Amino acid sequence: MLKKYISIMRGAALVALMLCGASLPAQTTASGVINGSLNNTNGIAIQFDSDPAGVTLGAAGTNAATANFGTVSAFGPLSGGVTRPSVTAANFTVRTIFDVQVVSGGLTSTTYTLTANLAAAAPTGMNYKVDAITLTTAAQTIQVNGAYSTAIPHNLDLVVSTAAPGAGGPAVGTPITTTINFTATAN
Amino acid sequence: MDCNFNFGGKKALLILGGLLCLLTASAGAQTSSGQLTITMNVQSSITLIFQNNPSVGTTGFCPLTNAGTNNVGLDFGTAAFPGSFHTSACVNYQHLNAAVYQVSSAFDVVVSKSNSSSPNYRLAAQISTPPPANVSWLLNNVTLTTAGFTTLDTADNYATPITKTLQVQVKNTVAAQPLLETITFLATAN
Repeated sequence: MLKKYISIMRGAALVALMLCGASLPAQTTASGVINGSLNNTNGIAIQFDSDPAGVTLGAAGTNAATANFGTVSAFGPLSGGVTRPSVTAANFTVRTIFDVQVVSGGLTSTTYTLTANLAAAAPTGMNYKVDAITLTTAAQTIQVNGAYSTAIPHNLDLVVSTAAPGAGGPAVGTPITTTINFTATAN
Repeated sequence: MDCNFNFGGKKALLILGGLLCLLTASAGAQTSSGQLTITMNVQSSITLIFQNNPSVGTTGFCPLTNAGTNNVGLDFGTAAFPGSFHTSACVNYQHLNAAVYQVSSAFDVVVSKSNSSSPNYRLAAQISTPPPANVSWLLNNVTLTTAGFTTLDTADNYATPITKTLQVQVKNTVAAQPLLETITFLATAN
């Protein structure tokens, strides 16, 4: 009787072990997670591009470009990309064309307003215009509905007095450098 | 005592003597024996961890938080489309076109095996939640979805770092917001 009981218990234990083994699947997979995060923020950015009809900008494609008109005069030759749309007794104007491109991101705004101002008072005998708007050290509105991600050409006019140096005219034979600040504001 | 037995009586006496000898012997050295049967079931197993790439810290190789485990973090920092703005010095920032930017960073996946004759493994991944419209999460240029695991590789070698690049592509129309995603990797033994 005891032998039979022991035999039954051994059999039951063996079956239990077999079932236990069968219920544990082989771990042939492994997993891991990467918690990625990015803070997408909004904003707009302005850049100056060379216009095919204007001078080649230095550092084109950036927000700190340069435009070199070269040597200008009322009657002499001009650098490529520079035109002279008007010459009067009082002054002459030299012009180049540059492009402004404003890019937006994360905004519902579809257009922007462009303003410009001189970083410092204009040198004696000089006036600066963008799209015929005379610049001062105060911000002047240049465009109110600029489209984003589009290179928009603007005329940059330098109005040079024909007066002699010391008599209201600009310095002659000396580089004249002026900085114009542009600001694009999302509408 | 009358020991005048016939042959049958002698036989009985011999048997009795033998029994007495056996009883005497057993009473002098009692022994017991038994067996313990051990049963175990060794299983094949594999494990997956993420590691920093040896180029970590350079552009395109940001450090993982909790590297060396199977649950790591990868922060791309703050970025925007205009002006290629991005705060992280280690992400690879690109304008893919006139309206979409991408940030990306690479890391290593290491899968190890034990008690397995598997020659290599398959690697797949999926994202946990649908991203906002015009936002995509990719691994090595393969777009991930929530619909199921997307196969990345079919025969990667065990114990070998496999470099993967996680990319986030964002269109400039996407409103400013945190973009969070959990990417689950699944390695399956072949």
